[in-house]
Amino acid sequence: MKKLMKTALAGLAALGLAAPASAGKDDLTLQLKWVTQAQFAGYYVAKDKGFYEEEGLNVTIKPGGPDIAPAQVIAGGGADVIIDWMPSALASRERGLPLVNIAQPFKRSGMMLTCRKETGIRKPEDLRGRTVGVWFFGNEYPFLAWMSKLGIPTSGGPDGVTVLKQGFNVDPLLNKQADCISTMTYNEYWQVIDAGLKPEDLVTFKYEDMGVATLEDGLYVLEDSLKDPEMVDKLVRFVRASMKGWRWAEKNQKEAAEIVLDNDETGAQTLRHQVRMMGEIAKLTAGSSGELDPADYERTVNILLSGGSDPVITKRPEGAWTHMITDKALK
Amino acid sequence: MTANSFWLAFAIGFWLAAFWANVKLAASAWSESRVVRLVVPALFGITLLVLWEGIVRGLSVPAVILPAPSQIAVRISQSLPILWEDFVQTFVKGALTGYLIGCAAAFLTAIVVDRSPFLQKGLLPVGNFVAALPIIGTAPILVMWFGFDWQSKAAVVTIMVFFPMLVNTVEGLRAAEPIQLELMQTYNATWWQTLTKLRLPAALPFIFNGLKISTTLALIGAIVAEFFGSPIRGMGFRISTEVGRLALDMVWAEIAVAALAGSLFYGAVAVVEKRLTFWHPSQRRG
Amino acid sequence: MNRILPILTVVLAILALWYIAAIWLNAQWVLDQAERAGHSVGLWEIIEKTMSQDRPKLPAPHQVIAELWHATLGMKLTSKRSLFFHSWVTLAPTLLGFLIGTVTGLLLAVGIVHNRAMDMSVMPWAIASQTVPILAIAPMVIVVLNSVGITGLIPKALISAYLCFFPVVVGMVKGLRSPDRILIDLMKTYNASRWQVFWKLRLPASMPYFFTSLKVGAAAALIGTIVAELPTGAIRGLGARLLSGSYYGQTIQIWAALFMAAILAAALVGVIGLVQNRVLKRMGFVR
Repeated sequence: MKKLMKTALAGLAALGLAAPASAGKDDLTLQLKWVTQAQFAGYYVAKDKGFYEEEGLNVTIKPGGPDIAPAQVIAGGGADVIIDWMPSALASRERGLPLVNIAQPFKRSGMMLTCRKETGIRKPEDLRGRTVGVWFFGNEYPFLAWMSKLGIPTSGGPDGVTVLKQGFNVDPLLNKQADCISTMTYNEYWQVIDAGLKPEDLVTFKYEDMGVATLEDGLYVLEDSLKDPEMVDKLVRFVRASMKGWRWAEKNQKEAAEIVLDNDETGAQTLRHQVRMMGEIAKLTAGSSGELDPADYERTVNILLSGGSDPVITKRPEGAWTHMITDKALK
Repeated sequence: MTANSFWLAFAIGFWLAAFWANVKLAASAWSESRVVRLVVPALFGITLLVLWEGIVRGLSVPAVILPAPSQIAVRISQSLPILWEDFVQTFVKGALTGYLIGCAAAFLTAIVVDRSPFLQKGLLPVGNFVAALPIIGTAPILVMWFGFDWQSKAAVVTIMVFFPMLVNTVEGLRAAEPIQLELMQTYNATWWQTLTKLRLPAALPFIFNGLKISTTLALIGAIVAEFFGSPIRGMGFRISTEVGRLALDMVWAEIAVAALAGSLFYGAVAVVEKRLTFWHPSQRRG
Repeated sequence: MNRILPILTVVLAILALWYIAAIWLNAQWVLDQAERAGHSVGLWEIIEKTMSQDRPKLPAPHQVIAELWHATLGMKLTSKRSLFFHSWVTLAPTLLGFLIGTVTGLLLAVGIVHNRAMDMSVMPWAIASQTVPILAIAPMVIVVLNSVGITGLIPKALISAYLCFFPVVVGMVKGLRSPDRILIDLMKTYNASRWQVFWKLRLPASMPYFFTSLKVGAAAALIGTIVAELPTGAIRGLGARLLSGSYYGQTIQIWAALFMAAILAAALVGVIGLVQNRVLKRMGFVR
């Protein structure tokens, strides 16, 4: 019945919407976590430089957005592979969506909390009684874990922090609506700088330095995909080509940024921003072969489990990662 | 017969039965009675829910895509305090405040403008133009100006409802027939008397049209504005956050509350309208 | 012609208010900058600087117009940065959604007027359907449709149709019921069938309502498309422009996209208005 519905609807959709499929190539769809930007340079490079093609793959890259949950897309069959952060991937797993990490191109976390210096915040303890901007939509977990580690309630009041749901930009900090906001080393931090504040006007806490860094952009698939030898073979080729793309992007940052820009259809990005972002991204991917380091995984799980009264995940996940793909891809 | 196809068959069977019942009820001798007029739409709604439940179960749609109504109902019963807190934040503080300010401001503006035909000629086309705009696009800007709490949501709602309300009121104030106006003149009525005794009552259907359109706009505006930044409560906040957490049952619980609140709001305005404009042709039956 | 002067006055008044608001809102930033740099600024300098910021809180009208000019006529029509390109991307699903919404709305209205069961059951739920914040669930709708293989134009068009059908239903029900009792009775004395009453009386009588609801529906359809584009992967279209503008703090870009949307809406409504004038004149509604 489901199949019937699918065919019927696909027939509807085919009215002028059929994508041109390259003959003889295996199709694979990748769902990004966010809009087209240098954060995903490796995949765009692999596509534009023909690395995927060399592996016999025809990869479709779907950009994400502020209200696209990659996990939901893969659950609905809209993608074969998604890029997600581990906290939200593990939380989805606990909700019954069996996501498995097959590769981890990002070694380090780029997440930070950036405060205006004039607020007098110097150390994490000073956050008590302050207003802090946090991203939600599955990205709030690292912050909540950090606060519960420090024992600071997130319900406001003089002892706790008042949490705001931060929009897509850094305006809350610029307009003094928040004392601190969440930033990424490669993106929002530089938007603050671009807006005219100087690094010495800011106090920044890197999650990496605070010991609460959780794994960011990793590649996830559904458990069932790993039972299908044909799919596993595709994934192996995909990971191999993607990592080749990342290596190339790290070495040729300017060209990589240009490739990203060519793929951006909104026309909102500028080369200067993307080159700079590429430089920062390269720092995060450096040192990762693509293989998930089990120690990093354990650290992430421990942070998420330590959530006090409201932990992100309630029990240690089983089988949430595998080296099956990377073992074959990176030989 | 598997459980899946049973659910599908049951849903479709229920649908056909309810359809038949409704047609019979509506054609029956009691079709004007209060009970039937409540039962018919209720049956229709229940049918929709049963169909939904049947399709979700019958086709085993995963809960992270679309939860079944029964799951949503369970979620609602478990999360009443959160739902209430969000309702107060978004509906009472955001939508209702903005609705009242926006409608009152538009009404007063229309009355002021009414005294100057020159302004009226200028404002009506411009107002019509603005009423057609995607005002919702200004939400990120207003959040930037008025901060994260409900004030910015009320501001979005105020702007959203202002122009439809203004256009309708101005239009309504022109609804009195020339012959009626002349009659008032022969009575030597002042502008104020003409306004309160003739033109405002004549304008009521239009004013209520504006008020009704604004009820749905108000709720939508308040919810969407929360997407662009909010404190950690509110219906829009909850919806966008819980989608990210794949807690789709919670998302639909909020949507159900929104739909219920919106319908009651609309219904309340419609009841007042019926009381005040019983004389208008559109309120007659048939 | 005598409408031009009042409209111009109102527009000029709005522009003046806008400039004052721009100075007011942007001044804080100039003052902060000056304070950080350690020198003071005079009133005139403040005003001057509020008019030409890169990321103003409220861009001055001339900045928006310059950006509009630059993004439309200032570049190639096919460029991905051209606002014309994005407008077209938004317009296509809007028109499709408008069509779907109007047809659905018309059918529902006809059903409601002629069938007592539909009248009693559909109307309350049509109202309830509009109180569902479709804008908030648009991303989910798109994900769900994607999962059954529908992508591209259609999901956006469906969301826009969802917002568009309601004004059409409400307007047309009112319109189809607008003929006075006495006229319907007259038709009955002619022994006209329901069908004939519909074609010869109800439908012609509903035309003014029809066009009014088309105008509202077209505007709603445009809003629907923009909203569908807004959160669902800023790829292209005016909604994506709004989002990426917001994301990168490019206020001038946001306002330019808003204006472009306004122009689109005005064009749609204008075209319907022209048709309306023609049709109603020929039908003898306007003398």
